Amino acid sequence: MRSTTFRLTAAALAVTALTAGCADRGGVSEDTTDYPSQDITLVVPYDAGGASDLAARTLAAEMEESLGQSIIVENRSGGAGSVGLQDLAGRAADGYSIGYLPVETVMLGYQGYDVDPADYDLVGQMVSVPATIAVPADSPHETLDDLVKAAKEDPDSVTVSNSGAGSIWEAATRELGATADAEFRPVPFDGGAPAVTAAVGEQVDAVVAGISETAPAHEEGQLRVLAVFDSEPSEALPDVETAGEQGVDVVIGGWGGIGAPAGVPEEVLDKLEEAFSAAAESEEFRTIISDSGNIPVNVPAGEFAEFVESEHARFEQLLGDEG
Amino acid sequence: MSPLVEGFSALLDPTVLLCIAAGALLGMLVGAFPGVTATMTVALASGFTLSLDPLPGLAVLLTIYVSANFGDRVPAILVNTPGTPASIATTFDGYAMARQGRAGLALTSSAFASAWGTLVGVVLLMVAAIPLSRLALNFGPAEMFALVVFGLTMMIGVSGGKVLKGLVAGVLGLLLATVGRDPITGTPRFTFGLAELSDGIPFIAAIIGLFGIAEVMNQILTHRRGAASKPITDFGRWFPRRSDWRTMLKPMAIGSGVGGVVGVVPATGGDIAGILGWDQARRASRRPEEFGRGSLEGITAADTSSNATLGGSVTTTLALGLPGDSVMAVMIGSMVVWGIQPGPSLFANQPDLVYSIAGIMLVATVLALVVSVLRMRGVARLLELPQHFLWAVILVFCMVGTYAVNNSVFDVAVMLVFGLLGLFLRRFGIPPGPVVLGLILGSLAEGNLRRALEIGGVGTIATSPIAVALLVVSAVALAAPPLRSAWRRRHPREDRGTPTPTA
Repeated sequence: MRSTTFRLTAAALAVTALTAGCADRGGVSEDTTDYPSQDITLVVPYDAGGASDLAARTLAAEMEESLGQSIIVENRSGGAGSVGLQDLAGRAADGYSIGYLPVETVMLGYQGYDVDPADYDLVGQMVSVPATIAVPADSPHETLDDLVKAAKEDPDSVTVSNSGAGSIWEAATRELGATADAEFRPVPFDGGAPAVTAAVGEQVDAVVAGISETAPAHEEGQLRVLAVFDSEPSEALPDVETAGEQGVDVVIGGWGGIGAPAGVPEEVLDKLEEAFSAAAESEEFRTIISDSGNIPVNVPAGEFAEFVESEHARFEQLLGDEG
Repeated sequence: MSPLVEGFSALLDPTVLLCIAAGALLGMLVGAFPGVTATMTVALASGFTLSLDPLPGLAVLLTIYVSANFGDRVPAILVNTPGTPASIATTFDGYAMARQGRAGLALTSSAFASAWGTLVGVVLLMVAAIPLSRLALNFGPAEMFALVVFGLTMMIGVSGGKVLKGLVAGVLGLLLATVGRDPITGTPRFTFGLAELSDGIPFIAAIIGLFGIAEVMNQILTHRRGAASKPITDFGRWFPRRSDWRTMLKPMAIGSGVGGVVGVVPATGGDIAGILGWDQARRASRRPEEFGRGSLEGITAADTSSNATLGGSVTTTLALGLPGDSVMAVMIGSMVVWGIQPGPSLFANQPDLVYSIAGIMLVATVLALVVSVLRMRGVARLLELPQHFLWAVILVFCMVGTYAVNNSVFDVAVMLVFGLLGLFLRRFGIPPGPVVLGLILGSLAEGNLRRALEIGGVGTIATSPIAVALLVVSAVALAAPPLRSAWRRRHPREDRGTPTPTA
């Protein structure tokens, strides 16, 4: 009786271990001319269902069409995205493992995580999420200038919520302060929605968040977006000026692209870039991304690589003293 | 009225109805298996429902939540083992009734009391959710912190004779909640260089370990020792008589009130409400001496109260974005993935969704009641299934479910470590519930306190009337039990106190 029990339990454990093991199988194909000859895995370093996941899944569905193979999206979240990014970097550079690279790819290395953008071959950038700064609807601050003045008059007193410690929005708050020569007080919340809610409820003086998070509250009249940190005004907020137009030249925000572990053969990378470009240009992809409040883009590999390099250098300045 | 109609009519989709049926079946089954909690089942199921649309997905999860709180009464009454923690208080009188040959009556009246409690809770959800969500905008970090502190003291105040062990468990949970990156500065704490730990201990893996794995290991260890109590086979009369109904009225009213209030308080659930409701009904009863010895009033109050928390918990979760209890903590995770952000804005953006949720719970309650009354005999049979089959099934589900959450072997390892921890705690009689609550509330308390201090120092809290009031109430809740027992020592009076279940 007792031994039956243990045998059954052991069998259950074994089955589970096998199932788990199967998921990690890595297929390596030496011949690159017939690429792709099998399913491709796309690693997303966040949970299923978020904005990044949505962008990656939509793009994957479009890329499948031109590549003629299935793209399986695998969510590996944790460690602010570092778990999935490290996992991707460690996979075979054969083109059958690709991944979603968020702005955190160039930030995490300065925040004590083992993430380096040099570990990836870049395929292209497909989404951009400009930062915005917004105040409660009843706030006395009518313009970005008002808010900056208040922060200059009484340094470290203007509270600005963001989605979390070490987030791009916290970095954007610091960048704004550094450029305008004013000292804001970033207050990290647990996610973008609570940060926006805190501003709506007048718990804080302002919030820095992605345009997709502040634009709906702006339309409902709960918040007033003072500036978009982009090089040109956004379609989602046509009545709001950019920070540059208001004399504070800050362009910062989140972004997302596709990459692969470094060392992918040239011809494979070419095929990926081609498929990527067609997918990022597709009506389906552009509509879904626009609907979610973000900006669909189609930046080719070379240009994306330069951008990533400049971003990496920028965050070394911005975050270097923390890490 | 239109969101009400819209929300309810959305449920007429056959997929949703099918999902409710599936959830009800699963919920009743897992509720009836001791050790498989509603929290764990919802956590496991959410791994599979994430690929569904939000409404069918919510239908499965909410129905499991509701119907597990029916199924769990069966083992509580028949073998003195709560099927889930929510039926702890059911064992007080239910098992006693069963031993007196009144198991049938106990099962049926428990089902009716549970159904009534759930309905009261759902009505509370439909009436109170929107006003509460307006109030919620006034809940900044300072008020949230005070509210979470209040939730923590409730836990201690009602742990009855087990105050010390409950406290040990709660503190352990609070300590575990410090693992991960600092919420304000982002500095790693106790992560041992593991990137996986930087977001804190993986919550679902921890609870599956603490409850599921620990329970199975415990049962395997104690299998031979101490003859397992045989299920009751003599059921007696099933349906309550008219006089029984009259007896049940008052405890139902008391239970509804207690459960509704406890449900709204974040992080407190059916287990606490059941005990509290039972205790209040005893104080108000004309026959308090029968409580704990097979009182129909006792079982009615306990079950009404523990189920009335469901609606309240959902209300808090949807209105404030704070978990109303541990099941809702898991469900928040799924909702966020579906693009439903619980919190004040939910009612502005998707008011019909709130009514859909209430509708799902209503349908689930009716279904669970019908199944309970018609098929209680069948559910009771399940307890005769050989235990080792059950263990193997539970273990496989725990592993697969935990892995599926995040495709992470690390999470499975965490689950096993917490299984061992849970086993250790159980062997020393320390309840695992407070550990989980400490784990959830700890990070909420810390994050909000730190945020409040960032915003305006101690003044942020001291100048908020809501926060100060909540903190005062918390202090009273902490001080009351010792003061009352000191008073009793000076003014002795016959009082038997809350019995602890002998599982």
